[in-house]
Amino acid sequence: MSKLSQKHLLGIKDITEKDINLIFETAENFKEVINRPIKKVPSLRDITIANIFFENSTRTRLSFELAEKRLSADVVNFSASTSSVKKGETLLDTVNNILAMKVDMVVMRHSSPGAPHFLSRHISANIINAGDGTHEHPTQALLDAFSIREKLGGVGGKKVAIIGDILHSRVALSNIFALKKLGAEVMVCGPPTLLPKYINELGVKVELDVKKALQWCDVANVLRIQLERQQIRYFPSLREYSLYYGINKRLLDSLHRQIVIMHPGPINRGVELSSDVADSDHSIILDQVENGVAVRMAVLYLLAGAAG
Amino acid sequence: MKILIEGAEIVDAESPHNGKEKNVLIHNGKIASIGDKNASSDKVIHARGMKLTPGWFDLGTFAGDPGLEYQEDLDSVTEAAAAGGFTGIALLPNTVPALQTKNEISYITRHNGTRLVTLYPLAAVTRDCKGEELTEMIDLRHAGAIAFTDGLKPLWHTDILLKALQYLQKFDGLLIDLPQDIWLNTFGQMHEGVQSTMLGLKGLPRVAEEVAVSRNLQILGYAGGRLHLARLSTARSVDLIRAAKKKLRISCDITSYQALLDDRSVSGFDTNYKVMPPLREKPDQEALIKGLKDGTIDVICSGHLPQDEESKKTEFDQAAFGMINLQTFAANITALTRWVDLSVLVEKIAVNPRRLLNLEVPVIREGEPAEVTLLDPAAEWTLDESTSKSKSKNSPWWGQKIKGRVAAVFNNNKAWIAPGVR
Repeated sequence: MSKLSQKHLLGIKDITEKDINLIFETAENFKEVINRPIKKVPSLRDITIANIFFENSTRTRLSFELAEKRLSADVVNFSASTSSVKKGETLLDTVNNILAMKVDMVVMRHSSPGAPHFLSRHISANIINAGDGTHEHPTQALLDAFSIREKLGGVGGKKVAIIGDILHSRVALSNIFALKKLGAEVMVCGPPTLLPKYINELGVKVELDVKKALQWCDVANVLRIQLERQQIRYFPSLREYSLYYGINKRLLDSLHRQIVIMHPGPINRGVELSSDVADSDHSIILDQVENGVAVRMAVLYLLAGAAG
Repeated sequence: MKILIEGAEIVDAESPHNGKEKNVLIHNGKIASIGDKNASSDKVIHARGMKLTPGWFDLGTFAGDPGLEYQEDLDSVTEAAAAGGFTGIALLPNTVPALQTKNEISYITRHNGTRLVTLYPLAAVTRDCKGEELTEMIDLRHAGAIAFTDGLKPLWHTDILLKALQYLQKFDGLLIDLPQDIWLNTFGQMHEGVQSTMLGLKGLPRVAEEVAVSRNLQILGYAGGRLHLARLSTARSVDLIRAAKKKLRISCDITSYQALLDDRSVSGFDTNYKVMPPLREKPDQEALIKGLKDGTIDVICSGHLPQDEESKKTEFDQAAFGMINLQTFAANITALTRWVDLSVLVEKIAVNPRRLLNLEVPVIREGEPAEVTLLDPAAEWTLDESTSKSKSKNSPWWGQKIKGRVAAVFNNNKAWIAPGVR
């Protein structure tokens, strides 16, 4: 069995292009599997996986859980808000308590950047980062790149614009790392207050005008405006944001060419995307969701192989 | 007891023996003789290749006593300081309660004269170091406070800064500020740059320091008085101070580690590299070194800030700022001699901090009190459970082999000699 170069999937920054391609090839097989009448394979029988979510999540947790179950793993779920945990147990104690019950792999979401990296220095189980604060969300970037590859036949040489709150987005950062590794050109676009000052040093273009970004790109990956992560006001109102950074059908029609629209969900309809765009044939948003399960199956399967 | 330090090079611009290798005899707390012959003694320290300097002084050590003794107390900080080569340390006021009344001041100074390391309290400028209400600084001065600062807390309130500078002029007192704009630093975890961008950590921008330095210089120009800016970290801060020194009574310091480490150290989310101000970038380090050489930077301090394990063995954004650095200071200074002559460094760790505080500067001369530090720049050692005197372990060098240590320290008729030194 082929293996990943890493024991954990902490971030895209740490893995190689070869790893990414191996994940994609494996995910293609699993995508075929989950479209069969019998969607389950025995690959991870006897493997126990804990989904530990210190931050709210519906779709990522569901996607991981489905991926785990389709691989026949035993699954346990733990959810707690970081704030309630903060009052009592430390992160390390919480996770060690779960691992003491003989868990092989941990899928963790946490609000602190680097929390899975911290954990990886202290525990022996495989760790998959399901989002660490404003740092990385590697499986999202993998499924995004996988979806681009599926739709456009490849990622190399493609122009991808990531639009919205780049400053607080782990999706943006992981996407930048993944797309650059796969040879795509990347642009970020959003209000200047939501663009990291040194983002251009990651080798991406910076654009402040949404229409120009859309004219440039083959793919627009539109991010959710994350009001919950903004303890400081970065823009005056959602109204003004949707007027000047939102994407609607009229704007897309004015481009006179077809581009692909992506969104990691959940969509704020009428804010960053209008319904007539989200539901149009430009959109591959639901393909992303389907691919998410296949890509996560591939990651789990390959990491289990690396462990065994 | 008579102790002979044999063959160390004397590094002390005020000493008639500066730059020479001599045998120095210490007896009854005084420098009994300095010469070339072997005087009779009870103990000999073979110090060829070592450097004998005036005792070092740390301008701004954190000891959590009173109130935060689990981080460091007066006993442990004194031991760590002695092993680090310091004969005097000025303690930051960020205790619980803050060093803000006569009681706390006398609590700090009560053993002075009988301990190897003399403790000098830096009193709070504002009540509880909150930056809002001035403390009784004249009274604190009479009780023994040597300068005034809110320590780890920047003086964010511009008018409080102005009033403190004015009020202290009654006795020409020194005001020390940590120049950081608290608004621009909100939620910041590390230096803002490409590293913070890649790590998804909120940045502490250079401009947060530089805007505070500029503001402080403007207010100093208006109010008069004496101002010392602590822990500078950016190239532009050094430029601003360099220009201001031509007309204002301004001085500044850096921590020794700031000139040696940069923000790439944080890439593995190691919380021992989480410090305030944050580790910057190569051009900043180069500017700090230039500032040391040309005299813009007056003082190098340890930046010693102990944190208990629970505050560091945690997620990066939950971790506390700071590193312990009293005992690793000698290794830092040794590393800095790659760029800056040791005689220049000694000015900044033994002479200038005392001059700023109007304290007597020890001199290596016959008949003077023996307040000296013996540095062994070639010694390799490891800071770990067996060698550390601090109550905390938050050092990026913990467990690593480092070069440069203090072989012996003398002060107040007491001596500390490192294990293994013969």
